[in-house]
This record gives sequence, C-alpha cells and structure tokens, in this order.
Amino acid sequence: MVKAYRQEHVYKHPWERVSAASWRKFADPENKRILSHILEVDTLNRKLDTDTGKLHTTRALTIHAPGPWFLHRIVGQDICHCVESTVVDGKSRSMQLITKNISLQKFIEVEERIRYDPHPENPSAWTVCSQETSIRIKPLSALASMAEKVEQKCAEKFMQNSAKGREVMERICRYMEAESARV
Amino acid sequence: MGLLKKKDSTSTRSSTSPCADLRTAYHNCFNKWYSEKFVKGQWDKEECVAEWNKYRDCLSENLDGKILTRMLEVDSELNPTKQADSKESSR
Repeated sequence: MVKAYRQEHVYKHPWERVSAASWRKFADPENKRILSHILEVDTLNRKLDTDTGKLHTTRALTIHAPGPWFLHRIVGQDICHCVESTVVDGKSRSMQLITKNISLQKFIEVEERIRYDPHPENPSAWTVCSQETSIRIKPLSALASMAEKVEQKCAEKFMQNSAKGREVMERICRYMEAESARV
Repeated sequence: MGLLKKKDSTSTRSSTSPCADLRTAYHNCFNKWYSEKFVKGQWDKEECVAEWNKYRDCLSENLDGKILTRMLEVDSELNPTKQADSKESSR
C-alpha cells in the first residue's frame, strides 16, 4: 500500500535565487531551529559537467524521526539516514532533487521528488516548486498490520516539515533579495 | 551519531562531526560559487576544489563505510543516466 501526495508552491522570486536558497536551507543557523529534525547534512559527491552546465550532487541527510512509543519498540531507532540526489540544469534553469531513506528500509520506503522551475506565466521573476512524496510500509514488516495508520501519520509529519521548509526558503529568499538590493 | 564510524554517547542533537568545520568551509565556498557564477552561466570549471578535497578526505576517514556504500548505491539507482555516462567512458 502506498500513500502519495503532491504539493505545489509559487515563490515570487527568480529561479536563480530560489535554487540558491535550496542549497542553504539546512545549514542556515537561524533556520536550524525551525528545521530541527535535520541533524546532519553532508555532501558525498559532486560533479560538474562543464559542457552541458549540469551539476550533479549527492548529499547524506541524517534526520531525527521519532514516533509513538510502540513504533520505537518495533523499529528500534529514531535516527534515519537519507540520500538526496540533485541535478541542476543551468541551461534550462531547472533543479530536481530526489530524496530516499536508506535506513529503516525493512519497514518503510519514502521517496520525495522536488522540482524548481521558472513559473510559466512569469519565468524571469517567479519559481514553481512541485513536490511529490510517496510513502510505503513494507508489506511483510512488523508495521504492516498498522500500515495505513503509520503511512497517514508519516504523511502528516512530512507535510508539516514541508511547510516549515517553505517558510525557511521564503525567509532565505527575502534575505538574499535584500542583500542584492544593497550591492 | 549520524554517519560517523565511532559510537557517540552524547545527545542526538549535538553536532559531533569531526568534519564539521571543513564541511562549513566547503558549503560556504559552494554557495558563493553557485550564486555568483553557476546561475549566471559560468560553469566552465570546477571551483572550491581545495575545500572539497579536504572535506572529502575527512569524510572518507570518518564515515561509516557500510552506510556510505549504501548511499552511493541508492544514488546510482536514482541516476541511471549518470551510470550510463560512466559506463560509456570506461569502454
């Protein structure tokens, strides 16, 4: 059983600024308080294709993922490692991130895809962010009998975290806009 | 905690990564390059190479090998075109 949902958000900022904000999202000290579930972010790999203007990056995210007490007893840990794979196409002004969990895979599979593209109606000034998340409890896992409930709870948590992420992004974009106005 | 090899008994919230400073130096360099050059069409050469090498060497020494291998496996599943490129170049 898979729970999937889509969200879309328009940033009234150009793609260059929004994609730059995305890189800063987890590291910004002011915003770490809001995104406190993100414990560590490390860059594992990077590759720039100087011909095509494509930037490939792989990052490791360590996330604090507590659940209700019974979940902790089954799953045994409240730290989850994820891998985030990003491609930025400088020529077409497109950024795509795919994040998947690599721990707790016996129990759950989560995949989140985020795209940042210039807004079709205002490509030079606005950016569309579309996000698709799918959550699947492994059928033979100890969580299977309460799969629907766990998927629902996860989805709610992810949506809350996405909302926090957007808040942080907007804040960074406004800061960057003010900085560029001063120069 | 996190991706480190050694077990850490301190709180899960504290940043105990020995590579934290090198990571910050690399990320700061990257963010500057990204905003000032990459998005303006200047992608003709790799930058922040010294910062990246120091940071990457620290990670190699300190990361849990099993987790790292798994991460890179999943990364190549998510990027089959990247794999195709590297297979092409190894022929």
